[in-house]
Amino acid sequence: MKWRKKAKVFFTALVFIIATVVAGCSNKESSSDSGGKVELTFMFSGQPQEQTAYKNVVKKFEEKHPNVKVNVVVTTGDQYATKLKAAIAGRKIPDVFYFNPGELRAYVNSNILLDITKYVESSKDVNLNDIWEKGINKYRFDGEKVGQGSIYGLPKDLGPFALGYNKTMFEKTGIPLPDKDKPYTWEEFIEVCKKLTRDTNGDGKLDQWGTGLNATWTLQAFVWSNGADWIDESKTKVTVDDPKFIEALQFFADMQNKYKVTPSIAEAQTLDTYQRWLRGQLGFFPVGPWDLAAFDKQIKFEYDLIPWPAGSTGKPATWVGSLGIGVSSMTKHPKEAVELALYLSADPEGQKALVDQRVQLPNSVKVAKEWAKDPSIKPENKQEFLDIINDYGRSFPTEFTYNGEWYDEFYRNLQPVLDGKMTAEEYVKKAKPKMQKLLDQAIEQEKQASKK
Amino acid sequence: MEVVLNKKTKVNVMSEKKRNSLINSILFVFLSVGAIFMIAPLLWMVSTSLKDKQDVFALPPKWIPETIHFNKYIEIWEKGPLLSGIINSLTVAITVTVVGTFTSSLAAFAFAKLRFPGKNKIFLLLLTSMMIPYPVVMIPQFIMFSSIEWTDTLLPLIVPGLFGNIMMIFFLRQYLNSVPDSIIEAAKIDGCSYFQIYYKIILPLIRPAIAAQLILWFMGIWNDYLAPIIYLNSPEKQTLQLVIANFNATYAIQSDYPLIMAASVVALLPMIIVFVIFQKQIIESIAISGIKG
Amino acid sequence: MEEKITQKSSLYRKEKIYAYIFISAPVIGFVIFTLFPALYSLYGAFTDWNGLGQMNFIGLENFKELFKDEYFYKSMYNTIFMMIGIPIGVVLSLLLALALNRGVPGTNVFRVIYYIPVISSIAAISILWQWAYNGDYGLVNQFLSVFGIKGPNWLQNVHTVKPALIIMAVWKGLGYTMLLYLAALQSVPKTFYEAAKLDGANAFQTFWYITLPMVKPVTFFIVVTSIIGGAQIFTEINVMTPTGGPEFSSASVVWYIWQKAFGNFQLGYASAMAVVLGIFIFIVTYIQFKLNERSTFDMD
Repeated sequence: MKWRKKAKVFFTALVFIIATVVAGCSNKESSSDSGGKVELTFMFSGQPQEQTAYKNVVKKFEEKHPNVKVNVVVTTGDQYATKLKAAIAGRKIPDVFYFNPGELRAYVNSNILLDITKYVESSKDVNLNDIWEKGINKYRFDGEKVGQGSIYGLPKDLGPFALGYNKTMFEKTGIPLPDKDKPYTWEEFIEVCKKLTRDTNGDGKLDQWGTGLNATWTLQAFVWSNGADWIDESKTKVTVDDPKFIEALQFFADMQNKYKVTPSIAEAQTLDTYQRWLRGQLGFFPVGPWDLAAFDKQIKFEYDLIPWPAGSTGKPATWVGSLGIGVSSMTKHPKEAVELALYLSADPEGQKALVDQRVQLPNSVKVAKEWAKDPSIKPENKQEFLDIINDYGRSFPTEFTYNGEWYDEFYRNLQPVLDGKMTAEEYVKKAKPKMQKLLDQAIEQEKQASKK
Repeated sequence: MEVVLNKKTKVNVMSEKKRNSLINSILFVFLSVGAIFMIAPLLWMVSTSLKDKQDVFALPPKWIPETIHFNKYIEIWEKGPLLSGIINSLTVAITVTVVGTFTSSLAAFAFAKLRFPGKNKIFLLLLTSMMIPYPVVMIPQFIMFSSIEWTDTLLPLIVPGLFGNIMMIFFLRQYLNSVPDSIIEAAKIDGCSYFQIYYKIILPLIRPAIAAQLILWFMGIWNDYLAPIIYLNSPEKQTLQLVIANFNATYAIQSDYPLIMAASVVALLPMIIVFVIFQKQIIESIAISGIKG
Repeated sequence: MEEKITQKSSLYRKEKIYAYIFISAPVIGFVIFTLFPALYSLYGAFTDWNGLGQMNFIGLENFKELFKDEYFYKSMYNTIFMMIGIPIGVVLSLLLALALNRGVPGTNVFRVIYYIPVISSIAAISILWQWAYNGDYGLVNQFLSVFGIKGPNWLQNVHTVKPALIIMAVWKGLGYTMLLYLAALQSVPKTFYEAAKLDGANAFQTFWYITLPMVKPVTFFIVVTSIIGGAQIFTEINVMTPTGGPEFSSASVVWYIWQKAFGNFQLGYASAMAVVLGIFIFIVTYIQFKLNERSTFDMD
């Protein structure tokens, strides 16, 4: 009797397995045997609104190209890197996929990305000249330098990182609004921040600050506008011990510790400066095109964009981010894959949908100009975004190197400087040799990789 | 003298009882305080799932939301493939645990009771698989599975488990070590085949131990997160934890914590139910065996 | 305990064959799914494998680099530091089990409550605790403020991030170890305790000379498996401190391996690290087994 029961369990399990295996197998069959259609896999990650927008673009693409079916694979931001790398290691690279421009060199050297120059230039659907030149250049590589040469990817978007200010707060405090064309000097900036940092309801605690900046994303604005950089022109030498760099880094730390125009030490590093900005507690805060949707919903005050404060060069500086859309070098259908990539990057309807979702600015130069002029779209000074792209925006240092380990090293032990426990000068002297070693290793790795 | 002795013992017994209940009461208080610590984060999870988005960040934080919103529990089914996530997780977990228990217990029987050369060495070798961190085998396994086109199916999550689980084998072996060999010898003399010995004698005997390990294994699979990330692409194929993790990353930017918490609560429930049902079995099993080294 | 079988009887042969059949499944599974991949990675440790198709033999280069790598040592330190939670957990859970064993009212309810953290998904728990440790509105600091203590920003502060993770790990594992101890306690024959009482032993002596030795096998199992598991801690770190913690103070070895492999295209180096970690775990486990052998006594 017990035997029978055990046998039943055993056979049920057996049935289960068989069912699963069959289900798994039949799924595979149906996906690869679709009657002569070209099948492409497109992998990306994005916020829900972006996902909807891209899925619609894909549908439109399929309508225009009825012999192509696109399998869309979406993951979340933090899982994406793992998944992509696993796929590459397992030689199951998606036909079209997002990638970080910092990985361009590595992928090209290892023959992961397809050279799409000739397909792109001969495309009938999309005009290359209409896409931001700087955007395309991010994905050019001639084997030695990034920014020139063959095209290995198209920009999903360009994300200029501008500086925003809380107009309502300025008006309430009675300070003249910043000039949208002339950047503050660092001294002027501190003066204004000091005026903004106060206790507005008289309870003895500060509840409003000049700003609260995260070094990972905003130190660049100060370093670059002071005429310094993490790395040199040849992209092989670390230059963080340049006196101008030290000056910028020290100024940044001083905002919190010396001038005291930011929330306290621990608070500045959490998500909370972002939350504080949303609640109108900060005078200045960075704004990227991807923030617009969230700001629309959650910000109750008036805000606008201005150039970043300028250091000794007198000119502002900041970074322009991007994600690339690449085509796998192993794709069986290069022509269709590139078409899809072009659609995702430049198709006007798709672009419009994304821009309407308030998560990016248009990839097309023409459309962007009109978008910037439109006064009904907030914020008013969207032209600042375009100025950054056209004029004073730069790429992250890691976009020029094989990997970003040397750069991560800089930030890894930076906290004591930001807390005022170590001077900038002491820190860079310690960090530079470590960073240089990692950069040398990366260069060496690249040499090995391109030998094949 | 006897009377005095009796009186003395009686008095001792009485105060001992009193002492016992006093200690018990103190312990009860401590246990309750501890229980609050244990369960506080999870109560917070439930409380947050019922809040309005803005209330989540309120300072000072509120435990009981002013208005209770149950809508999140409805939303989670729509905003992500939660149902298919549960079904997928169940498919993997049940298949693996049922078949894997069979293979594991069979092997444990052999290791504990049968004689064959190399027994201990082989067992130790299998044990080492516990000491190899997952990232080490992750990529080569992926290369293996993708070359046979098993990506985006549940197969890479199911098939390896069917071959047995070393923790379970370990545990069952210990358990069986305390079962006297004589029973088996007797069965052999009666003419039972080894398989019959397994079915008729061993399996019923180790049922409680199996229950204990099965729960743990089920739980491990239910909560597994790393393997599903790299193998499963399509939302319909994803397992539950992955669906929830996707809630977190996508919706954290929009700060929709109530949604994430609601999904997490739902993910938790089946495990709690299973545990409540099986907890007696688990305790009994270990009690009867006493894990002997 | 290998028995030397001198007679190769047909009965023995049959037993042997059946035994091999019975263990065939796990062994095959082990070979295919563990051994081969591990060997592949082992080979990878001696190459410049970058996950993108390049894998050239470079001998001991990775290992030489590894021994000069200060972050490797830091991550080892972090990992071992966080194992402090193991003895804490063992002691706490034993005390809990002792308490519950007395038949305190509500035992069943307590058992379930203490076990709930164990069965919760590690990803969900990590998210929850990450939030609980938030410097401004987190649960932990809320609680401390009741006593007038201003809690630090736990996960961002170099000095508090590891203790924070340890607390969470102990919290999560308590129920499981408590349950094991509870069962072990219930299997101690009552006669032992009665005899001890007759001999005039007080509570502490009873505990030290009877209870503790009787649950030693469970303690052994828990410590061995906890160390093996603790050496491989990863998910909690990755979710709660995705950048390895302030100044790398919460990065575990497996986390660092993951970073190297998936962040920087250095799978060869990562494999080398995994090999070293594996050897470390093996040695520690082996030592534990040897120590246990020496002090085991048999009561049957």
